[in-house]
Amino acid sequence: MTKPSTFLVPGEKTSAGTLAIISLSRDNFLPLTLEKSTGAVDGYLEGATLNTRFGSYPHSTLLDVPWGSQVRASNVDTGSRGKKRRRDATDEDTPIASQDDDEDSTAANAPVKKAVTAPSGFIYVLRPTPELWTTSLPHRTQVVYTPDYSYILHRIRARPGTRIIEAGAGSGSFTHASVRAVYNGYPRDAADTKGKVFSFEFNESRYHKMQAEIGEHGLDGLVQLTHRDVYNDGFLVDGKSPKATAVFLDVPAPWEAVHHLSRRKMKKGGEEAEEDSNWVSPLDPKQSVHICTFSPCIEQVDRTVTELRTLGWVDVDMVEISNQKINISRERVGVNFPSEKGYNSSPADVAEAVTKLKSLAERNKDTQRVQGLQSGTEGLDSEMDVDSTPSRDNRPSNGLNGTADDAERPFMQGRLVHRPESDLKTHTSYLVFAVLPCEWSEEDEAAAMAKWPCGNEKKTIGNLDKQARKEEKRKMLEGKAKSKKQKKGNDTQPSQVVVSAMATPTDTA
Amino acid sequence: MSRNTVQPNGWVAIRLPSEVTRVLQVVPNTTISLGKYGSFPSNLLIERPFHLTYEIQDKLEGESFPRLRVVPGKELNADKLADVSATESADADEVIEPANGEELTLVDESGKVVARSTREVIDESARQTLTMAEIDQLKKEGASAGKELIAKLMLSHTAIDQKTAYSLAKYKLLKEKKYMRRFTVLPLDVAMLGHWMLFERDASKVMEMRQEMIGLLGCWADVHFGGLPIDGEQGPHGGRWLAVDDTGGLLVAAMAERMGILHAEPLEAEETAKQVAEEEENPKTQPANDEAEAEAAESLAVSASPKAQRSRPKRPRKDDLDDHYALTNSITLIHANSQPNLSLLRHFDYDYSDPNPPYPYHPLFTNLLPISWLQLLDPESDPTYSEPVPEVESDVLASWKTNRRANYHRKRRRWARTRQIVDATRTGGFSGLAVASTMDPISVLRHALPLLAGGAPVAIYSPTIEPLTQLADCFSIGRRGAWVSNPPAEAEGKTAVELENWPGTTEFPINPALLIGAQVQTSRARRWQVLPGRTHPFMTERGGASGYVFTGWRAIPAEGNITARGKFNRKKPRTG
Ligand SMILES: C[S@@+](CC[C@H](N)C(=O)[O-])C[C@H]1O[C@@H](n2cnc3c(N)ncnc32)[C@H](O)[C@@H]1O
Repeated sequence: MTKPSTFLVPGEKTSAGTLAIISLSRDNFLPLTLEKSTGAVDGYLEGATLNTRFGSYPHSTLLDVPWGSQVRASNVDTGSRGKKRRRDATDEDTPIASQDDDEDSTAANAPVKKAVTAPSGFIYVLRPTPELWTTSLPHRTQVVYTPDYSYILHRIRARPGTRIIEAGAGSGSFTHASVRAVYNGYPRDAADTKGKVFSFEFNESRYHKMQAEIGEHGLDGLVQLTHRDVYNDGFLVDGKSPKATAVFLDVPAPWEAVHHLSRRKMKKGGEEAEEDSNWVSPLDPKQSVHICTFSPCIEQVDRTVTELRTLGWVDVDMVEISNQKINISRERVGVNFPSEKGYNSSPADVAEAVTKLKSLAERNKDTQRVQGLQSGTEGLDSEMDVDSTPSRDNRPSNGLNGTADDAERPFMQGRLVHRPESDLKTHTSYLVFAVLPCEWSEEDEAAAMAKWPCGNEKKTIGNLDKQARKEEKRKMLEGKAKSKKQKKGNDTQPSQVVVSAMATPTDTA
Repeated sequence: MSRNTVQPNGWVAIRLPSEVTRVLQVVPNTTISLGKYGSFPSNLLIERPFHLTYEIQDKLEGESFPRLRVVPGKELNADKLADVSATESADADEVIEPANGEELTLVDESGKVVARSTREVIDESARQTLTMAEIDQLKKEGASAGKELIAKLMLSHTAIDQKTAYSLAKYKLLKEKKYMRRFTVLPLDVAMLGHWMLFERDASKVMEMRQEMIGLLGCWADVHFGGLPIDGEQGPHGGRWLAVDDTGGLLVAAMAERMGILHAEPLEAEETAKQVAEEEENPKTQPANDEAEAEAAESLAVSASPKAQRSRPKRPRKDDLDDHYALTNSITLIHANSQPNLSLLRHFDYDYSDPNPPYPYHPLFTNLLPISWLQLLDPESDPTYSEPVPEVESDVLASWKTNRRANYHRKRRRWARTRQIVDATRTGGFSGLAVASTMDPISVLRHALPLLAGGAPVAIYSPTIEPLTQLADCFSIGRRGAWVSNPPAEAEGKTAVELENWPGTTEFPINPALLIGAQVQTSRARRWQVLPGRTHPFMTERGGASGYVFTGWRAIPAEGNITARGKFNRKKPRTG
C-alpha cells in the first residue's frame, strides 16, 4: 500500500513527498508538497526552496521536523536564479515551482548546499487538516467552508465507515472534509468495504485537477472520483452501487439529480419509471439515507424541496448557517496614553474629561491674561507659573478601563473587547436536509412480526395519561399493601414512568 | 456504525406530532405508551428500520393490541406539497371532516394563517357565536359538517374586523397535522441526543452546546478515526485525542462517534434474539461476584448446556495487571472530580461506573481513558496511582472469601489501569484537544498544551465569549512579540522543556509561543419553513447561548531569539 495520507495519519514529523501547510502569517496559509532534493533546484543551490516575502526556506529546513515547528528563514544562494527571477517578475508570494531546470543541469549535479540561517524571518509547518486545506486550496470554484461542512457532515451522519456521495467535486474542499469523516482505514483490496467518498464532477479540467490532487494527498482508495453529469447519468460507479447512506449535492440544480437517489427506478417529478430489472439503486437498501443540498438561492430551495417531498423524502428541514469570526483586541482610551497608533487619546471617563477641560480653561485664562498684558491692559496678577498640563499623578485611576502605568506592559493596557471581524460572510447557501427511510414491505413486516410476536406485554413504558397513571398508582398501592416484596421498577429515566405488571393504559383516542 | 434497525432493549427517540421527543429503551414484550397519542406493543418496533412514521390503528377484532401502519413518505408530504394558490380546494361542496386528531388551518390568499383550530376550539368558539340550535345542528352533522361552516366558525373565533368583508373564497381551509396518532422512530445518536438535551431536557447540563458547536469542535480538533494498532508498537501511537468535558459526556460521545467507537458492534441478529429469549426465561441472572467464579460457572454451563456457551462469547482471560487500554484511536478525558460525569453515555449502552461489564465490551471500555487533574499533575498524591496493591500468594487467595477475593482483584486492576492511563497521558504526543468545560480555559490550556504533539489542533467551546476573549488575549500579537523580544525575568535561562511547562504569570498566563492561529468564532443555524409560496425563516427559535469556539494549533517554537520579517516588520520592529 502507498503511504497513508498526512491528512489522516500525519505521523509526528514532516516527510518528503507529502503535503504540509505553511503558516506564513496570520490567516495566510500555503499548501506545499515537501521535496527532498539531491542537488540544486531551479537555481537554488540548497535544493527546492520556498521563497516568500517572509524569507526563503529551503525544503531541507522544513523536512523531518515535528509538525508545528517554527522554522527560521535561510540566506539562500540564488546563483543564476536572482537575475532570472527579476526577469520573470512573478508575484513574490507565489511558491516557486521547483522542477529541475535544464538550464541548471550543471548546478543540479552539485551536492545540495547546506542552508544558512538568516537573521530574521520564520514560518510554521503545520500538518494538513481539511480546515487548513479549505483556507489554502487553489480555488477552481466556490467552495464549502468549515462552518457549513462541519454542520452538514454532522447532520448527514457521515461517520467512520459511511459511504457518501458528493457532487460536484468542485475544488475538493468538501471532499477533504468528508473523507476525514468517513475514514475507517484503507481498504485492503477491492472486496474490502470501508468508508468512502464517491465524488462526481462533470467539468473535465476540474475533474483532472481533482484526480491529481487525490493522488498527491494519498487519498486513492478512499475517494473515488467519476467524470459525470449526474443530472442525466446518476450516481452508479462502473455500473455498481456505491451503497451510500449519505449524500451531499452542491450543484446548481439538485432537483435534476435527486430522482436518481431513490430506492426504485423513478422519473423526475416522482413518477415511477417502467420496470427495469437492470436498474440498481446507488443507495444502501438496508439503511436510512441522509441528504443535504447546498444552494445559494431560495428558488433553488423551493424546487429541491418540492422534488424531495414528491419522491418521498421525509423530515425535510432547511437552515442557513451564519458564522462570525470574532476580533479580540485591547481598546486603549485615555488622555495619558502615548499618542501612537492603536491608542485613542480622548478622555477615558467623565473624571478625565473634567480634568482635561479644567486645565484647558486654566490655559485659556492664562492666554487671555498674557494677551491682556501685551495689549497694555493692566493685569494685577502677574504670576505666570501656572502649570497648564495636567499632571500624570492627578489622573484618576480607572480600574475598569485598565491603567496606563509605565510599569505595565502595553499588551495588558486598556480594556479587552471583541467585535465581529470587518469582512462578514452573511450568506453562503441554504442547506436543505432530508431523510429517505428504507423500504419496508409486508413480507418484511410479517417476518418481524413472527419473530417478535405481540400480545404478551407485561409492563408499560413511556408517558401515561392521567387515567392510566391513577390506575397504576391504585394497583401499586394495592400491591404494596399485599406484599412488601414488590420491588421498585427499573427507573430508566426520571420523566418516564416505568410501572410494573398488568397496566392497561386507557386509550384516549 | 450505528445499527439500522431498532434493537431489543436499544435506545430510540420517538418523535410525536407535537414535535416533542421521547427517549426510551425498547424493552421487548412491553407496552409503549405515548400518552394521549395512544399505546402499542414494543415488539412492533423491534427489528424494524428507523425513520419510519407509524400510525397507531384501532384494535382489530379479536386482537388485544393495536397494530401500526407505516405511513409512506408521499402520504406524509401530501399536505406540504399542496399548493395554496390552487383553487380546487375552494370548492364549496367539498366536505372536510375534522376527524378526531385533525387540525385545520385557515389561510388567506397570501398563505398567511388566519386561524388554526382543533375540533375543541371550533366547539368553543361555536358556543360563543352560535345559537344552541345551530350547535345542535352542527353536532348532528358531525363529521359531515361543511367546510364552509367550519371556516365561518374559525373566522368568528379570530379577531378579524368586518369578517363579512372577507368572502370565504379568499380563504382556504387546510388540513394540517392529520397525524395525531402518528409517531416517528429515530435512532438515538449524538445529533438526536444533543437536540433532545438542548430543546427538551436541560440545556444547562450540556452547557447549551448546539449542533453547530458540536460540528465545529469536532472538525477544528480534527477528531477522526485514529487507526488500528500497529503490530509491534508497545506505546501509545496513532490518533489519540485529549478531552475536557463538562457536558455530562456529550462531548466525549461526539468525539467517539467521529472516531467510530461510540456504538458497540452489533451482535449477530440470531444471537440477540436468543439472548433476549434466555433473559426472559431467567430474568435476573445473578451477577458474578468474582471472575474466577464466573469462569467456573461458565465451564459448568459448558457441560450442562452447549447452547449457553455458544450464545455468550467468552471473556478473554487476562491478568489483573495486564494492559487494559487501547494504544490508539482513544480519548483521554481529564476530569475535575474523582470520577468523571459521563451519565449521557448510558444512552449509548456504556456504563462508565461498571468496572467489570459483560463481554463483549463496549469500545469505550478500552478506548476511553479517564484521568483526574490530580493524577495528571501530581500523580504521587493520588493513592489509586501511587499505592500498588501487593500481590497475594495464590493459596492464600484461595482461602479468602469470594467477596474479599473479588475486591482484591478489582483493586489491583484499578491500580494497573490508573497506572497505564497516567503514564501514557504524561508522555504526551496527543493528536488534538477538544474542550467544553466550565473551568477557566486558560488554566486548562496551560496544562494541556504541553501534552499535545506539534501541529495538533486545539478547539475550546464556551457558551459565553468572555472566557475565550481572555484566552485569546494570552496569545495577542503584542504578548507573543514581547515574550520573544523582551522575555520575563522568570523565563531567563530556562530550557525549552521548562518553558513548555511554564507555570504562568500575570503577564504571561500561558507560554504564548506554544500556540499559533488563535481565533474565536461563533455559528448559528437559522431554520426556515419551506412550503409552496410560504417560505420564510421561522418566527421564533430557542434563545440562549449561540456558543463560541476558540481554535489554534500547538506550535514548537524555535529556540532562542527570533524576529519576523515581512511587512509588519517595518511597522513594529520588535514584535513577531
Ligand atoms: C460550487 S462547485 C462545488 C464545490 C465543492 N463542494 C467544494 O467544496 O469545493 C459545483 C461543482 O459542480 C459541478 N457540476 C455542476 N453540475 C454538475 C452535474 N450535473 N454533474 C456533475 N457535476 C456538476 C461544477 O462543475 C462545479 O465544479
